Amino acid sequence: MAINPMEQFAVKPIVPLHIGHYDVSFTNQSLWMCIVVGAVSLFMALAVRQRSVVPGRVQSMAEISYEFVATMIGTAAGEDGLVFFPFVFTLFMFVLFSNFLGLLPGAYTVTSQICVTFGLAAFVIAMVIVTGFIKHGIGFLKLFVPHAPWYILWLLVPIEFISFATRPISLSVRLFANMLAGHTLLKVFASFVILLGGAGGVLSLLSVAPFFLIVAITALELLVAALQAYVFAILTCIYLNEALHLHGHH
Amino acid sequence: MTAEAAATTAGTEQPSGAGFPPFKTESFPSQIFWLVVTMTFLFVVLWRYAGPRIRATLTERRALVQQELAAAQENRRKAEQATVAYETPLFEARERAKRLNTQVREQAAEEARKAEAEAEASAERATREAEERLARVRSEAKTHIANAARDAAMEIVERLTGERISEAEAAAAVRSLQGA
Repeated sequence: MAINPMEQFAVKPIVPLHIGHYDVSFTNQSLWMCIVVGAVSLFMALAVRQRSVVPGRVQSMAEISYEFVATMIGTAAGEDGLVFFPFVFTLFMFVLFSNFLGLLPGAYTVTSQICVTFGLAAFVIAMVIVTGFIKHGIGFLKLFVPHAPWYILWLLVPIEFISFATRPISLSVRLFANMLAGHTLLKVFASFVILLGGAGGVLSLLSVAPFFLIVAITALELLVAALQAYVFAILTCIYLNEALHLHGHH
Repeated sequence: MTAEAAATTAGTEQPSGAGFPPFKTESFPSQIFWLVVTMTFLFVVLWRYAGPRIRATLTERRALVQQELAAAQENRRKAEQATVAYETPLFEARERAKRLNTQVREQAAEEARKAEAEAEASAERATREAEERLARVRSEAKTHIANAARDAAMEIVERLTGERISEAEAAAAVRSLQGA
């Protein structure tokens, strides 16, 4: 195949860098993480510049995202979950901007790397565990014991434990796979456009079809980008709720 | 999860992850390192800079809206009070006018009744007086006629007989003729 759709996910060093015997080179992916973080910071800086009572467009967008995340935490994790607001807000904005900026042609999608999504998910779960033990002490382990008759608990407890243990995997793979699949699809159809276009004759005219498909898929990917950021954030809230209130009564 | 399956298949096809960039473990330290760096930066920006400012703006706006709403409520209350203050004297005046109206009408009716009674009484009195006078005049006339008849009788008797009869005899004769 002339065009490898996986090539877009390759991590290429820009500035080689080593700490100890670890290779922490500044790569194209690091660059895009910086761009994402820079874009969010710029967006926020513009939004809070005026702080008017009647907000402008940028301020309004920032306030909507702020209230969106605050409401999400409030409903999913309760009022005491709001201490995690800066963290969940950071996660949401980072994932949202990564997903959106990744859709720009030539851009690198940070969240299409399992390493990144797993890193985020593992941090979320670690925080859930730490919060749970701080809040409930050893009683946090009751999370694995649902309200059920004792004779089925021997079956339910392992199930609960496995479902908890697989959370970082499901949380990270969901985001990673969605981003990866979407961008692979875009690249495959984009290569069709080029291959057909270069084939000459009637086939060149046919290249219009995959082009329109790309437009349609891009629209769909915009939805997926926002949706996956939301899913990642709301699941974080739900997991935090369990850490705070064990069996979900807040 | 087909995408997940595809990802795993792609991973197993190239055991070392050679052709599938997301599974190339040699870039993992760099990815984690820069993820931590950038996320920490973003966390600090949102936590210390943007978050408090947006929250302050939202709180300010909420307070302002609350304040304006309270002011509007107060104004409404005042307006209602003013309406009451305006309408109460109007109502009272109307009531008083109504009361006066009834009073005057009643008074007028009473006066009319009194005048009527008086008029009736005076008419009755006049009638009675007229009747009395009539009776008196009639009896006087009778007396006059009787006297005249008596004198005439005396004159006639004197002319015819040349005798003078007394007034009493003449009167008795007249009375006896009157009675006949």
